[in-house]
Amino acid sequence: MEPTRNSHATLVDLLDRVLDKGLVIQADIIISVAGVPLIGVNLRAALAGMETMLQYGLMKDWDERIRSQETEHRRTLMSPASREAIAQTNLASIQG
Amino acid sequence: MLLDMQHSAQTAVVPAIVKEDGRYLYCVADAGEEASLDAIGIDGSEVYTIPYKEICAVVHSCPAEPYRSDDQKLAAAWVMTHQKVVDTAWQRWGTVLPLSFDTMIKGETKAGAQRNVEDWLKQEYEKLKNKMMKVRGKAEYGVQVFWDLRLMAQNLTETSPELRKLEEEIKTKPPGLAYMYRQKLENLIRREMETKADQCFKDFYSRIRKHADEVCVEKTKKAEPGWQMLMNLSCLVCKDKYTELGEELDNINRLEGFSVRFTGPWPPYSFVGSA
Repeated sequence: MEPTRNSHATLVDLLDRVLDKGLVIQADIIISVAGVPLIGVNLRAALAGMETMLQYGLMKDWDERIRSQETEHRRTLMSPASREAIAQTNLASIQG
Repeated sequence: MLLDMQHSAQTAVVPAIVKEDGRYLYCVADAGEEASLDAIGIDGSEVYTIPYKEICAVVHSCPAEPYRSDDQKLAAAWVMTHQKVVDTAWQRWGTVLPLSFDTMIKGETKAGAQRNVEDWLKQEYEKLKNKMMKVRGKAEYGVQVFWDLRLMAQNLTETSPELRKLEEEIKTKPPGLAYMYRQKLENLIRREMETKADQCFKDFYSRIRKHADEVCVEKTKKAEPGWQMLMNLSCLVCKDKYTELGEELDNINRLEGFSVRFTGPWPPYSFVGSA
């Protein structure tokens, strides 16, 4: 059996590695990417969905699923309470 | 109102961050070479190396601000480009320690980002060399084993006297009682399947382990309908030994009701993380 790296069929395998793994730098000169997992989550959902779409040809299903995932994600990430918290933190950092 | 506040607060804070100098890191390569890989980086950035002794960081220069976007096509292009650059370096220098997407070093001090990368290489030199040694001449392969749920349940029922007896009994029961018996049967099958899955995992794992230098057990994922992922492994394998692993996987793939996915070679993403 030969290993495959066909870009469509192994997209998710690639993402699992590029987004979640790799050399970890422990230093304070590293840029904090605390807000960034958003990109990983969205991207994985989108690309995994694309792969499913290619496999089964379910365009509509893909679109709806991604939208609901995104909405769910935003809902948890940016609830009114957390928005307020962010706004106040920013305000405080300016005034302070 | 809240949004307005947030917006004005952000615009007031951001400019100070934007100006800062940064270096986006793709990987650390096994060569003490100062080289340019041309404009193959994210958004067409010029990719080059920052050497220290006989290793180098493969980077591009950019503002010290993470890449982020709601545009998934753009984000996908970034990730693909990241991988392409790592691949290019991997091909050129044979051994790399890949970093995950969106890792940057900033230039907070007067020394600047370039200097900070050099200092980081210097500081971590021993650790990086050790990791380099561990993955030299090797590549990462993904191995996923699936089984056909219905076929497995069917086989289990056929080969277990206890389950077969229960199945026969159901046929003689009135509908209400038959329903309860069927529930019982399903629970038993489920339990048997779990035991069987455990056995298979142990068996396959030890067979695969022989052909790999290191194995990392990953979380299993959702499979196609009717199938279940039994195991999800990342294997660090010598470049000349992957055919042996392939042959072993053939043996598993040939078993009735089992299916194997074999992907790679990947840069050793799963084997460079912790010290």
